[in-house]
Order: sequence, then structure tokens, then C-alpha cells
Amino acid sequence: MQEMDSVAQPDIIAEVHRDNETEELFLAYISSQNPVLRDKLVAKHRNLVRYLAGKFVNRGEPLEDLIQVGLIGLINVIDRYDPERGTKFSTYATPTIVGEIRRHFRDKAWSLKVPRRLQELNLAANRKKEELGRQLGRVATPQEIAIALGVTEEETLEAMELGNAYDTVSLDTKLVHEGESAPVTLAEFIGDLDPALQKIETYGDLEHAMKMLEPRERKIIYYRFFKEMSQTEVARRLDISQMHVSRLQQKALKKLKELLSI
Amino acid sequence: MERLECTTCVELRIPCRPEYVGVTRLTILGVASRMKFSYDEVEDVRLAVGESCTTSVDRAEKNNRPDAQIILRSEISHDKLTIDIIDDAGSRISEEVDEGADIEPENIGALLVTLLVDEVEVYRLDTGTHVRMVKYARNG
Repeated sequence: MQEMDSVAQPDIIAEVHRDNETEELFLAYISSQNPVLRDKLVAKHRNLVRYLAGKFVNRGEPLEDLIQVGLIGLINVIDRYDPERGTKFSTYATPTIVGEIRRHFRDKAWSLKVPRRLQELNLAANRKKEELGRQLGRVATPQEIAIALGVTEEETLEAMELGNAYDTVSLDTKLVHEGESAPVTLAEFIGDLDPALQKIETYGDLEHAMKMLEPRERKIIYYRFFKEMSQTEVARRLDISQMHVSRLQQKALKKLKELLSI
Repeated sequence: MERLECTTCVELRIPCRPEYVGVTRLTILGVASRMKFSYDEVEDVRLAVGESCTTSVDRAEKNNRPDAQIILRSEISHDKLTIDIIDDAGSRISEEVDEGADIEPENIGALLVTLLVDEVEVYRLDTGTHVRMVKYARNG
């Protein structure tokens, strides 16, 4: 069971702690600033970093990455350490190394708020996926992962999809395609309301509404707005007065507005 | 045992042996998940409790106390989680303690605990040790 890995304390740390060699190395390094000595100090405390990184390994980041950031902390702290102050180096270095590892998690924090249960399932699913991949010699199917985890396939897929929520991508991310001179941003690929589609919808409604008008009203609307005739022209064509056209037009437009509920 | 004063309290008593440290980690995971903690804060609490119980287990082994127990007591309030880890694993054997050193090799774990939670206090008892740690909920 993974929970137990914190129990064993490596002897290496005790060794590092007890010897005076570290102190001598430090004194030599501080006076000479010889990078070879610094390398030796880093190598000597690698196991401290490895041990501390191991404590954080069940949080979904690869151990190697944690060791790398921990080593950066170690290198920084070697340059700051003063053995004259009487603090053991490992005591002095541990907060910095742990700080560097925890900062790594903060920086890599989930970008979107995801329920904890699913975060955990996501981690478990990824681990199982790798494990099964090694056993099977091919990529495991979601179904196989679900069976291995003892959850439903749907839950597994949901949890695996959540991996996308861990990292978000800027809309200004440049997507450069081969042979294209100007890079385009991700935002340019995002869909928008298409006004042409909206028009088709509106025209469809209008066509239906037109059918509801009296034949004479329909004719007036057609001549006035589709053929762009003046009221006088329409009056002549229908053999009625211009005043009558105006009245009928108003009545027709009112009906259309009601029918289209504009 | 005395009647506990706090109203929202979760308590667990386990044998002070390596194979039960995982139980404390799982218990505190459940408790800490009820707080307004981030994922990493919950993990920090879990690691701190695991490390603290590990030092209890180490002490029980060194002092040859196979019957020792650990009580894990957590008190949930709206802004903080208070955790008490009380063992009867005896006190630290000081023969290996290097005079002048502020921390023993086997206590890197104890140092780690102080880095992971907001407050840590260690009380010496007649029969063992009482560690009290407090983690504040900043998101609340």
C-alpha cells in the first residue's frame, strides 16, 4: 500500500548528518568558491532531496520533476549556507528544498476548480493507464482502466477528460503552421454567431407571417418592400387611392410585427 | 477517557506500528476534505500527520514498546483544523542526540511537519508525546 512509504527513513540522511566532512567541504568551498567543491556538496545531498521529493510523490507529479526542482533549491541554499551559524546543513536546507517543491505544485495547480473526488480519480486513472500499458504492451482502453479501478467506464472517462482542466491555454496562443507566414491565435478559431444563419431564420418566419396577411395587404408589402415601389405607384397598380395604400400598409406592418413578435 | 469538549471532533486510536500509519493518513484525508482547503493543503495536512505518526512509531520501536498506541484527534471549525497526535511511545532516547544540533537525523520528518502546517507545538508527556498542529483555512 502506497500509504506506507513514509515509514522508512533512509540511513543516508543519518550519514549525511553525522559526518564532519560536509562542514569541511563547506569551509573549503566558501573560501575558494571552487565549483568542483560545490558539485561535490550537491552530490552529497542528493539523497536528502530525493527523500524529501519522495514525500510529495503521490500528488500527481513525476518524482523526477520533483527531484529536479528540489535540486534547484539545494543549489540555491548551498550558496547561502554559513556553517559558522551552527545550524546543520540538512536542517538549514530542508525548508528551502521543500519550499521549492511546494512552489512547483502551486505553479502547476489545477487551473479550473475540479471536485476533489474526480481529481483523485484522474490521478488514479492516469497511474493505472501507465501501469496497464506496461503490462499489456499497448495502450489500455478506458474500459480496462475502469475495471482495474473498480469504477464505471463513464466515471473513468469523465475523470480522464478532467486532465484538460489541469492546464489552461491562453486564447492568444500562437498557432504556427508550416508554410504560413503570419501566425494565427487560438482565439481566431473560436466560433461566433453567424448573422447569415440568423437571417435565414428571420426570413423563414417572415415568409410564414406573410401568408397570414390578406391578399391585398400581401401585395402592398410585396410591391413596397420587395419591389421598392412608391405608395403612389402601388396605388396606381392596385387601382386604389394612395391614402388607402398607406392605411393598408400600416395595418399590414402592424400584423406582421405581431406575428413576428418584434 | 474524558468527554471531549469540542462538538465537531473526529477521533481515532490505533496501534503505534508502521502498518497503521496509513490509517491515520486516510482518516485525516477524509477530515481535511471537509474543510475549505485546496487540494495541496489537504495533501500537506495528510503528509504532516503521516510524518508525525511516523516519528511516534520510530520512538515506540526504539523504546521497545510494541503495545504503544496513537490517538489522532481532529477538531474542525470554520476557519481552522486542529489536530492532536498523542502517543504513549515513551520519550526520545537522547544518546544519539548531537549536542548543539537543533535537530536529530531521524527528525527530518518533524521538521517537515513544521513546514506543512501553520502551527506546531510539541508537549512531553510522562508516557509519550503530544503533538498539536493547526492548519488555517484561508479560502473560507
